[in-house]
Amino acid sequence: MLSHRVNHHYGEDELVLYYYGEGRHRTRVARHLEQCDACRAAYASLAAALGLVSASAGEIPQRGDQYGLEVWQRIRHRLPERERVWWPNVFASFEGRLAALAGVAALAAVAALVVGAFFLGRAWPDTSTPVDGSAPPPPVARVIDPPEVAPALASAVADHLERSERLLTDVMNASSQRDLAAERSWAADLVSEGRLYRREVEATGDEALASVLDDLERNLLEVVHSPSPISAAALADIRNRIDAAALLFKVRVLGDELREQQRAADPYVRQTSTPKAG
Amino acid sequence: MDAIDAATTLARACDGDDEAFRRLVETHSRALFRLAYRLTGNEQDAEDVVQDALIRAYRRLGSFESRAAFATWLYRIAANCAVDHLRSRQGRDARHEVLPEAADAPESPLPGPDRLAASAEIDRHVRAALADMSPLERTAFTLRHFEGRSINEICRTLGVGSSAAKHSVFRAVRKLRAALAPLASKEGSTC
Repeated sequence: MLSHRVNHHYGEDELVLYYYGEGRHRTRVARHLEQCDACRAAYASLAAALGLVSASAGEIPQRGDQYGLEVWQRIRHRLPERERVWWPNVFASFEGRLAALAGVAALAAVAALVVGAFFLGRAWPDTSTPVDGSAPPPPVARVIDPPEVAPALASAVADHLERSERLLTDVMNASSQRDLAAERSWAADLVSEGRLYRREVEATGDEALASVLDDLERNLLEVVHSPSPISAAALADIRNRIDAAALLFKVRVLGDELREQQRAADPYVRQTSTPKAG
Repeated sequence: MDAIDAATTLARACDGDDEAFRRLVETHSRALFRLAYRLTGNEQDAEDVVQDALIRAYRRLGSFESRAAFATWLYRIAANCAVDHLRSRQGRDARHEVLPEAADAPESPLPGPDRLAASAEIDRHVRAALADMSPLERTAFTLRHFEGRSINEICRTLGVGSSAAKHSVFRAVRKLRAALAPLASKEGSTC
């Protein structure tokens, strides 16, 4: 027992690995530490130092629930072209290769059928002309409707735009001496609800409305994260952004359009819509 | 986001759907920030690392293999972005975090009840030691010590060999112990 202790002391590097639960000879090191005073003292000193490091680094600045959205707003215009992978990943595995080959075979079969049908159709006698010689009926006109927002969603979005318009108007007219505490909290609520509406609108395919909601969200976030108390320069910066995006105008016009659609669809809406302030 | 929803979102993002990528950004940004802050020790740098990592991830989404966990993949990109960031920062200002008073601290014994002051002093010394490390040492140590990653995982994350990863951690520990030695001797003198 004594000879083992005297024969081999462990160096700092081996003790570091032991401290972190690494290394191949953990049992042997543990046994040695029980028996060797010098190594036990060296290990205690190392563990104490690393314990201080752990204790000193506990504070990480917190980020709120909206942080991910803020990051997105910062990077979305910087997103580059993606690296295109010519040979997709599905080909990487054997199963993937089989599936891909099956897919290619199916595509080839469909292509052969289409080509075959085309030539068969050309060779086949035309029987579409009526026997009585009258002209065939005209083709039914196909009208592609613009994406339509459901009435309930349209109404909710119109209300949201109206509230946002009021907030933006307040910000544009706020005195530079006044803090925006109330507007900040109001804007935070609008960001949360606007985000939901934007996703719903995107799902309908109405890109114009979704884009305005996106611009609105970004500008509302600027209000939410404005410094408190706000300086005249910071306030001017927010106003310039709102101005540059012609946001108030867009919000007003789209809000009016949605209300108009509602009125056209249901005359009673006129009586139930939220009255505008001011 | 539940597991099925997360898998669907990831698949859509890999297929080029930016709205799906946006959801991934919203889901993973806070965890990335925590890692980036640990690695850089500075809020502004951490913000830059988060954004760079997400942009790099976006560019490489086409080569992401669905067998790997997305969070781990993203984590690896962020760690490498942090190494790059630390390297460029080192060029600019190698020791901006070293506070001059840390070295010239008065020799008075640590007062027992004043734990806050003692903790601040330890914090200054640790920060100084972290700032004195090479990017690889700092990242390997942070991953090992604070994030609980094994040496093998650190090798995979940083793309270095086992020996390089281990020796980075060893050198980092030596620097930290050297930085904390004055405090240890002070505490020893009060006992």
